[in-house]
Amino acid sequence: MRKIWLVLKREYRAHVMTKSFVITTIAVPLVIVGMIVFQAFLNTSKPAHVERIAILDLSGNLGPSVADALTQKKLANGRPAFDVEEVVEKPADEQRVRQRLDERVRTKEIDGILLIPAGALSGKNPEFLVNNPGVFEVMDTLNQAVSQSLITERLRNQGIPAKALKSIVRDVDTQLVRVTAEGETEEKGQTFGVAIGMTVILYAALLMYGVATMRSVLEEKTGRVMEILVSSVKPIYFMAGKILGVAAVALTQFMIWVIAASLLAGYGIAMARSFNPSLTGITLHIPTSLLVYAVIYFEAGYLLFASLYAAVGAMVSSEQDAQQAQMPITLVVVAGFMMFGTVMRDPNSSLSIALSLFPFFSPILMILRIALQTPPFWQIALSLGLLAGTTVAVVYGAAKIYRVGVLMYGKRPSLVEVLRWLRYS
Amino acid sequence: MEAVRVENVTKRYGQVTAVSGLDLVVRKGSLFGLLGPNGAGKTTTLRMLLRMLVPDEGNIQLFGEPLTDNSQNLTGYLPEERGLYPRMKVRDNLVFLASLKGISEAEARIRAHSWLERLELGKWADHKVIDLSKGMQQKVQFIAAIIHNPPLLILDEPFAGLDPVNATIVKDLMLGFKDQGTTVILSTHRMEQVEMMCESICLIHAGRKVLDGELKAIKKSYGKNTLRMEFEGDGNFLDLPGLIEKVNHYGEVVEAKLCPGADPQEILKLAIQRGVRVNRFELVEPPLNDIFIERVSQDHA
Repeated sequence: MRKIWLVLKREYRAHVMTKSFVITTIAVPLVIVGMIVFQAFLNTSKPAHVERIAILDLSGNLGPSVADALTQKKLANGRPAFDVEEVVEKPADEQRVRQRLDERVRTKEIDGILLIPAGALSGKNPEFLVNNPGVFEVMDTLNQAVSQSLITERLRNQGIPAKALKSIVRDVDTQLVRVTAEGETEEKGQTFGVAIGMTVILYAALLMYGVATMRSVLEEKTGRVMEILVSSVKPIYFMAGKILGVAAVALTQFMIWVIAASLLAGYGIAMARSFNPSLTGITLHIPTSLLVYAVIYFEAGYLLFASLYAAVGAMVSSEQDAQQAQMPITLVVVAGFMMFGTVMRDPNSSLSIALSLFPFFSPILMILRIALQTPPFWQIALSLGLLAGTTVAVVYGAAKIYRVGVLMYGKRPSLVEVLRWLRYS
Repeated sequence: MEAVRVENVTKRYGQVTAVSGLDLVVRKGSLFGLLGPNGAGKTTTLRMLLRMLVPDEGNIQLFGEPLTDNSQNLTGYLPEERGLYPRMKVRDNLVFLASLKGISEAEARIRAHSWLERLELGKWADHKVIDLSKGMQQKVQFIAAIIHNPPLLILDEPFAGLDPVNATIVKDLMLGFKDQGTTVILSTHRMEQVEMMCESICLIHAGRKVLDGELKAIKKSYGKNTLRMEFEGDGNFLDLPGLIEKVNHYGEVVEAKLCPGADPQEILKLAIQRGVRVNRFELVEPPLNDIFIERVSQDHA
């Protein structure tokens, strides 16, 4: 036990006192913040593009009201989404007007022509004639505006007074509210944010620290210090100390990030409120249970993958061989992460349940499910049980591979050889 | 008393048998030479004593006790492939390795300091190992093997890569430990060192013991069957089938192995007849080198 502690301590110091630790500690948050800022910049800058359109109204009485409805549609930044450059109603020479407008679209003077057919009121569909078909993002808004005007017109024809129409035909903006055990919270995407954040962090941490463990083992092997170490400590204790040491490094780094992030977030919210006191609605609610589960799943998942990575480090004798030999493990981690979308779309489908029970995926996917929509407890318990069982088996096997591998130099062993190592006493 | 007792130990790696039915006894306080050609199973044997490997069959005792995890604290090891943490300071390396052997860190720090001073490495204590010359690294490695005062010291080719000055320092340290009662096991191919220092030897080949016992007794059993000569004149007179089996030239000195039952007087007479001027004519036991080669090649046959 004392020896595990000594190994852990050395491992911790060796990692924390390096330049690369300091650099990643500072650089990773900077990259994340940079990505968020870049994303936000894209979001605010992209829809600033206003659709310039012409309305060709063949029905003869809908054009102005559609134009009116369109210009009232606002973008996220408050500017109108459409700029109606001209409205042509029931032209005498339809053919020529259409040719002229087509020409304007072709030369990109305008983005599109909204064609309202003569039978629009009786159910004939309008058309949107464009040069660039990538406008589907605005189609919802366009449909809404046109249907609104059509409904208004139809109601007017039924004899509803113009005054009443405005209150009958009104836009709604449905609020998303999340129902959990703790009550109802207004949802502005923060649950998704937390779920995605957690999953990405777990995924990145498993890869980053798994590989760090592997390299640390490899370094001792290529530096030949391993021989002395194994003559002083049982390999299983040594492996335990090493894995726990790297876990302590990971924890330190996360603590720094979490503290820095909450200080920054607190400061940011305070700043935002000082400019806009009404900004009280947004609360980032991370349930304690989620954090506890995240720690449990991270620990178990890290132990599982770090032992595999440590075994790889012990198996090979060079960096190049290590790169190749670690691929299968990395692929498993990546595969788990790739299932992200599937689980997110429907966290309770039987596929999602099966994926989140699979021990090599559960550290990432079960946390995603817990963050989205807490699954029944038996599923969490089962996945933890499977994960713990697999982890114990893998740590046991990895320790055996480790014990034989650390003293073997030279050619990378084949899978058959490695399996034979498992049977050595 | 016995420091090491190895009984009928076998170790296999898959199809390959590295050590087969080995018996070995090392007396406490002795300097023991473990000899053998490359791939004989020396390193595997040492690793089993160090509990880095577990024998498939047989058992091993250190100081009368069966091997346990704690027996790793009784041994100090200088591996053939030297290795320290290159990016760690010299002192930190020593303190870490000593504490793994059960010494408290405070005590390890004191001992590291005094050993570094003693080997004239004091001012390098806070340098990274990677900044040291190869000879200095070797000395640090030696300190790592002995810093916890192990009762059993296992040295694998301790003089490899050392210049004569450092080799002498290491040799003197080794003999000093022996005088204090430490049991030393030396594994090497360098016969002249074994011949000068070791009291007992074990020669293994292809995983089996071919010869063991006290060096003096072994040599005696071969009898004084070798002529050591220095002379001036034509050396061809030694070409004497029936009297001399084999001749080794070492520059000035010539060693000639006699055929069984040959009379050395005959050879001296012939030399004088041929007009060779004899400065030295001595009947000696065979050098270990010859015994080694003979036993190993016999084993091959």
